[in-house]
Amino acid sequence: MDTVVIGAGLSGLVAAIRLARAGQSVTLLAKGLGGLQLSQGTVDVLGYAPERVERPFEALGSYGKPAHPYRVIGASAVRTGVDYLAELVGPELLVGDPDHNVQLPTAVGAVRPTCLPQPSMLAGEIVERKRYAIVGFRQHKDFYADLCAANLVRSAAGLGSAVTARGITLDLPGRPDEADSSALTYARSFDDPSYRQRFTTLLKPKLEPGEVVGVPAVLGIKVLDAWRDVAERLGHEVFEIPTPPPGVPGMRLNERLTRLAKDAGVRIALGSIVSGATSSGGRVQSVSLAAAGRDRTYAAESFVFAPGGFESGALTLNSYGTISERVFNLPLSGVRDDLVTGDYWADQALFEVGVAVDEQMRPLDPAGRVVYGNLHCAGGILAGATRWSEKSGEGIALGSAVRAADAIRKA
Amino acid sequence: MRRLEADVVVVGGGSTGAGVVRDVAMRGYRAVLVDRVDLAQGTSGRFHGLLHSGGRYVVSDPHSATECADENAILTRIQANSIEKTGGLFVVTPVDDPTYAEGFLAACQATGVPASEISVAAALKREPRLNPGITRAFEVLDGSVDGWQLVWGAAASAKEYGAEILTYHRVTRIERQGDTVSAVICTDDKTGEEVQIGCSFVINCAGAWAGQIAHMADCPDVQVVPGRGIMIAMNHRLVNTVVNRCIHPHDGDILVPVHTVCVIGTTDVKAPDPDKLPIPREEVQQMLDAGEVLVPGFRESRAIHAWSGARPLVKDSRVGAGDTRHMSRGMSILDHSERDGLKGMLTISGGKLTTYRLMAERIVDAMEDQLGTKNACRTAEENCPDSLTGQLNNGHNYVVTHRLHDREEDRLHDQIICECELMSRRMFVDLIKANPTASFDDLRRQLRLGMGPCQGGFCSMRATGIAHELGTVDIERATGLLRLFLQNRWIGLWPILAGDQVRQTALDAWIFQGTLDIEHLPEGAEVV
Repeated sequence: MDTVVIGAGLSGLVAAIRLARAGQSVTLLAKGLGGLQLSQGTVDVLGYAPERVERPFEALGSYGKPAHPYRVIGASAVRTGVDYLAELVGPELLVGDPDHNVQLPTAVGAVRPTCLPQPSMLAGEIVERKRYAIVGFRQHKDFYADLCAANLVRSAAGLGSAVTARGITLDLPGRPDEADSSALTYARSFDDPSYRQRFTTLLKPKLEPGEVVGVPAVLGIKVLDAWRDVAERLGHEVFEIPTPPPGVPGMRLNERLTRLAKDAGVRIALGSIVSGATSSGGRVQSVSLAAAGRDRTYAAESFVFAPGGFESGALTLNSYGTISERVFNLPLSGVRDDLVTGDYWADQALFEVGVAVDEQMRPLDPAGRVVYGNLHCAGGILAGATRWSEKSGEGIALGSAVRAADAIRKA
Repeated sequence: MRRLEADVVVVGGGSTGAGVVRDVAMRGYRAVLVDRVDLAQGTSGRFHGLLHSGGRYVVSDPHSATECADENAILTRIQANSIEKTGGLFVVTPVDDPTYAEGFLAACQATGVPASEISVAAALKREPRLNPGITRAFEVLDGSVDGWQLVWGAAASAKEYGAEILTYHRVTRIERQGDTVSAVICTDDKTGEEVQIGCSFVINCAGAWAGQIAHMADCPDVQVVPGRGIMIAMNHRLVNTVVNRCIHPHDGDILVPVHTVCVIGTTDVKAPDPDKLPIPREEVQQMLDAGEVLVPGFRESRAIHAWSGARPLVKDSRVGAGDTRHMSRGMSILDHSERDGLKGMLTISGGKLTTYRLMAERIVDAMEDQLGTKNACRTAEENCPDSLTGQLNNGHNYVVTHRLHDREEDRLHDQIICECELMSRRMFVDLIKANPTASFDDLRRQLRLGMGPCQGGFCSMRATGIAHELGTVDIERATGLLRLFLQNRWIGLWPILAGDQVRQTALDAWIFQGTLDIEHLPEGAEVV
């Protein structure tokens, strides 16, 4: 086998597709479904640096401490990665101009910058004098229309835009007679035109002319233009607002990328942990998968390690305070005392701990020497960024995936 | 200024104050209880949740052991909804000196603490996670108690007898006329209003803060030295029985299953300020090591929250030496008429939650002695009414599965807002409607909102949305409540952050910062 990719998040999937399309035989190993469904389902490059960013690629060039992954990934690889993903999934799933962040409402009514949104979100962009009708469901507990609307007015004002917003809560379960419906349940129902009809019939009389309608991001999971149909039926602009997990927009991306990977010939083995590796002469020989019954060994020329960070359990902190990486026991950068502080609103240095890499994304030891010449890291395992607060997760994932895959192709 | 009249003002809404206000109200006095924050927000809510059988004290303090055994039986009956009859074990671990255990049963017998030895095999069958190296095991009647429910229950009983319970009423002054107490002045911190409560007697049950209250009545130098102890809650009930080490009472020798978690405790370190109680790393390590002795693999299970409480220990040479008949062990009564020439004021400190009812009885007896009256105490005979969330009672003791049972009943027509603790939307709505000025932490203490493994990761946004949707709070307050709740959860999270709780914290950060961008919401209101 040419390459084994570990991890089924954005960076693992994109690296696998890029390598397979270049003619490599690729196997992707992952414990679960990957982190996309936990995300907001857009592409962030840089949202805060730490002030709000309008032009992410301009800001990226000069942003970050020396250890930030963007310092070694570089703007051009990030750009390549973002363009590559946009082309892979197409305008049905991602739109926008990467040079300009859009400012979109969140479920609590904050205004969040992102680089490429899904087309179903675009109408939410904060524009002076916009009139929002935010619509929630009584049976969906992860979205509160009144809360979102009331804070949205305050948030927009903070950005110098006067908007109006009101909340509408519909009594419409995701499935018949259900009191507690998840975002995914709603999304599956919205795949069905008759459910969309019910929704728009219920909502339309409550709307006022000119209102832009914001709904939780549940407008279809398979049917990607369900939101357009809803907008046409209502005769109003409609946009989706990402919810806490399970996040439907992230699932859409995940499903599309997984299918593209399979179409490109990537073999995918989900459901087991990669538990260890063998190496020789500074190269990884194989990894072992703790599959049911017995361990399975996967040998390859190259390896892409994209398992995520602390959120996935790829990085662990034990009760004695020791931080480690589970599969290769890689040297970690950023480890020091007092990594966690009592200030909830501060970035915790713990989450910047990770693997330091060279330009080919190969792990480095503290002396700056490459640990394994054929192991390339991507995404959340990289040291130096608090991705959720600076809104850089997808940019780091894509830029590092491109660098890793291209280094392997050239090798 | 709001004006109230009472016979007795009780300062402090911990277990002592709640017990006292219930007792004075049942004896026919017009009573008002004030606390600067919520009921049982101080020491009475910051312990490990052990309802003592008395076993812990049979050797070191036999008198206390007997009191605990008696009061355990009374509380288990009169406050059934706050107490789970878990039973307890005293075990001799491989690192313990076996000689202590040799005298244990005889000491139990001498003090009236029910106990019997069971085989190691029987103990391990009952508690499979227990250290298999234990050499002896004794069964006792320890229980676990929800301090908040206990205090709310006593307060609810007091209210039935006409008492007023004023939370978030901060005492600013205690006035006197001549040599007698005449009024307590408070500020209602929820509204900013000043409140004057005319009275002829004040009972200072402010615990670790009692010195500060006495000072407001110009009774100087009441020295309370808070003894700080930390507790750590683990994500599961690693044991379903209280497990004690059969040794002289020591740090970290008790593991208590309470609600959905089990709690290891505790330490004892002098703390200069009861409002500044750190959770030092070395004490966290000490507790984890102690847990490992009782349950091998303890460190690999998931710590979800830690807290620090302050035992109030009065150091005052002027404690009336001849007053021992009014004393429960570990409790002190300062009579300010003897000490400072101020009639109508007692300061209480020390004691144990398990004996809170008895302490209250003694205190109110002391008050009546000073007043020259005598009414019978009936607090041991009459059950407390169910407090707000304890509707399961009907004379049965709390069982950990009750919420699962309730949700199976209502799952088709109600939402589960907090999956970790199985709190329904209805439970939340009912309580916030009844307490529209409550903070989410006030509600948490009764509903267990945000107390499970996700530590508010999912439920806190829901709580905010519902509270705002109901109209009980405006958007500024709603946002402030959310921010405060997350900040407060973090106080007990960061000192113990390890293992799967790190993973959870990262997920919560992805939700609140990554998806919701909460740190860029416009400021909320300053929330009390």
